[in-house]
Amino acid sequence: MVCKRTLMVGEETMDAAELIGYLSPTKPRRLRVIENILIGKRTVSTLYWGMRYHQLAWLGYDKQLTRQTMDGHVERLVHDGLLSVTDTNAVLTKKGAERQQVLRQTRYQPKALPVRLTVDLDTFWQRFLLATQVVSEQSYQTRKYYPLQVAWPVKQMIKKWYQQFYSADLSAEFNAVLTRFLKQLAVREATFFSRLLVGHDRPGETLLQLAQQNGLSSSEAHLMLTDLACQFVHFLRAQSDSSVKALLAGLSRQPISESALNTLNRFQAGQALEEIGHQRRLKVSTVKEHLLEAAIMLPVDQFPYEKLLTPQLQNELSDQFATQNLDDWQFNQLSNTQVAFWQFRLFEILRSKQTDDQQ
Amino acid sequence: MISNDQFYQTLRLRFGFDSFRPGQLEALTSLASGQNTLAVLPTGAGKTLIYELYGAVTHQLVLVVSPLISLMQDQVISLNVRGEKRAAALTSQMSRSEHQWVVNHLKFYRYLFVSPEMLSQPQVLAAVKAVKPGLLVVDEAHCISTWGPDFRPEYLLLGQIRHQLGDPLTLMTTATATNRVKADIKRKMQLSKAAEIIQPVDRPNIFLDVERFEAADDKDARLVELVSELRTPGVIYFSSKKKANEMAELLNAKTSCRVAAYHADLDAETRFKVQQQFMQDQLDVICATSAFGMGIDKNNIRFVIHYHLPGDLESYWQEIGRAGRDGQQSVAILLYLSGDEQLSQFLSDATVPQDDEISYYFKHQPQENSAEKANLIWFYKQHGYREEQIKLAFTKRREQRALALSQLMTYVRIPTCKRAFIQGYFGQPIASKVSQCCVNDSEGLDLQQLGLLVSTPVSSGTQQADWQTIIAQLFNFS
Ligand SMILES: [Zn+2]
Repeated sequence: MVCKRTLMVGEETMDAAELIGYLSPTKPRRLRVIENILIGKRTVSTLYWGMRYHQLAWLGYDKQLTRQTMDGHVERLVHDGLLSVTDTNAVLTKKGAERQQVLRQTRYQPKALPVRLTVDLDTFWQRFLLATQVVSEQSYQTRKYYPLQVAWPVKQMIKKWYQQFYSADLSAEFNAVLTRFLKQLAVREATFFSRLLVGHDRPGETLLQLAQQNGLSSSEAHLMLTDLACQFVHFLRAQSDSSVKALLAGLSRQPISESALNTLNRFQAGQALEEIGHQRRLKVSTVKEHLLEAAIMLPVDQFPYEKLLTPQLQNELSDQFATQNLDDWQFNQLSNTQVAFWQFRLFEILRSKQTDDQQ
Repeated sequence: MISNDQFYQTLRLRFGFDSFRPGQLEALTSLASGQNTLAVLPTGAGKTLIYELYGAVTHQLVLVVSPLISLMQDQVISLNVRGEKRAAALTSQMSRSEHQWVVNHLKFYRYLFVSPEMLSQPQVLAAVKAVKPGLLVVDEAHCISTWGPDFRPEYLLLGQIRHQLGDPLTLMTTATATNRVKADIKRKMQLSKAAEIIQPVDRPNIFLDVERFEAADDKDARLVELVSELRTPGVIYFSSKKKANEMAELLNAKTSCRVAAYHADLDAETRFKVQQQFMQDQLDVICATSAFGMGIDKNNIRFVIHYHLPGDLESYWQEIGRAGRDGQQSVAILLYLSGDEQLSQFLSDATVPQDDEISYYFKHQPQENSAEKANLIWFYKQHGYREEQIKLAFTKRREQRALALSQLMTYVRIPTCKRAFIQGYFGQPIASKVSQCCVNDSEGLDLQQLGLLVSTPVSSGTQQADWQTIIAQLFNFS
């Protein structure tokens, strides 16, 4: 009956300035890839190009995004002479490139966004806000107050958490951990973060209010919130155990889908592709897609490239494309080689990661 | 039978009051004598106290049927905050496991809030029946009548559901009901013999103002002017979320007031923050849709402005009743732009199906993505209604909506006393003359004379505390 959205998922937030950030002045980019990354579609093609565009950290960032909104922004940018579009490939014009440079200086630039893919950020934020309120009210010995409204499992978790840490000096610990975290941020970001918090006599400020105070668009404010939450998770993970860090319990997740992870684990354990397909009742092509997803989403050293691409094959492919830019490689250049398309793609992924690492 | 002494004793122990507000004890006594009771008490008269106290004295489950999830949640929180932990709301927003947990543990609860849709689910109904509720409460009972067959038809089944629960003792509460609505509630609940506890609905400390405009810009400009001049806190009602957002932004920019929008589209965190800021006087004005305020208990609201026409006079009276609960002078202002009634008419036409639509949907089972109306018609068919009956019901409904709108328009246009008109509408005797009555009994709206002119402009914006101060204050290290 009532449509409730949570903070992190949010309503669609994209604005034209955000879109400029996803585009390049030198290489045309596929608008549908950018859109599908934001919506969170995990097809190999989307993920591959998302990787090439350095956009993977945004996977599923704007699940509510509609084609209409996207097209509206594209039209506006084209109209303003910032963007040129052929078919559905878009490249920034000279003026667009200048605007992108300006935006990089003036607009909030995320620092820890890939953390999103490794944690249930939304649940963490709900837990953290409620825990902060509980600890704050406890430090003032308030027994009766209006608690934040959160999802039921979050409420249950915080009850148990409180029972576990009740005797510790929670307010001292929260004070210390938050002070350490906020100290290493820029003043503007630290203030933004602290004003979101809820506690005794502090109802907290809404994202819209903070956006207005800081002269930010709602898209930018949303990004800042998400990134600061990511930075906080990153910070906590590096800290020794504490009541605050315990709020992360059970929220870690893999950047790849569960099904792809299952396939990868079986493959690592020595099962053949056909065997995995048979046991999991999947087509072999699906098994291969799982492996490609894993290769794209995981660091090079966490994926067994050598088991799928022999050194000989790697040498052959390296020779073939020695003088070519990765994005210009064509599979049909390989008519003389015994190589399947998915292996070609896997080699592209490896090469993409190797060259990006050198940068 | 429970004695009045027992009620007084619990009132003192649980609420810390020595006396009841008008109507409360009468309703309790009526229930204690086994009478099903319809209580019409003005907003802010403490209807909640009646069933909360009844549950506390009888130690039986009180089952409250309520129209809005936000309202149910607010009521559960209010009970929790007062120390009553045995309260829960069964809502469609719950996860399956949470829902199941509550259903399996019903006997541990003293207060259970449900929507009629939830209560008509067989599994929920059976579980509730098994714990034998001591009291069934139909909150905002006028919804049974004013919402009619085009909106949430489960409301019409409440009478039937009550039988299925074994005819528990029933309390129906509302702040506003005409004689027709009262009769309609009783008929639909199949409780024609229910006792009536009626208190005057008039709120003499609310001055009634209506202002008419020919151009939208003039209306907006007047709203800005009013918000700049009026003593706060205040609430402005809109019929669209988009407009509420827009005007909140405009008022923030053009006045020194701190303004925020509040409606059902906001996420839970934002709703909480806006609500609590308003309660703690850190916000001056709320731009709301009717989702707001049902459960908000703030007694110093000085003005309620309607930017759009409300659905009917019942809703209007309900909504302006948020003002002046502390008994201090307050004001209700309705801003009417010529043609506003067409928006209401349009909204109403869009929801009530026509004869040809009824015929069509009666023959075609709704699909996953069918129109709301398809589900509505099918609902009636499933519950044994014939096509002709449905057509008749909706024709009557259209007439009723048209009538409600024309009565509202009469209120807008009537050149004589607005208060006298309202009292006539609700079938209540004209009370003694109110000194600050309405726009037609005065020379227009004079804020100075009402004592509602802001003395010093509210401080603009909150002071920017640094993060060190905020953290220290949060954890009591200052
Ligand atoms: Zn009058």
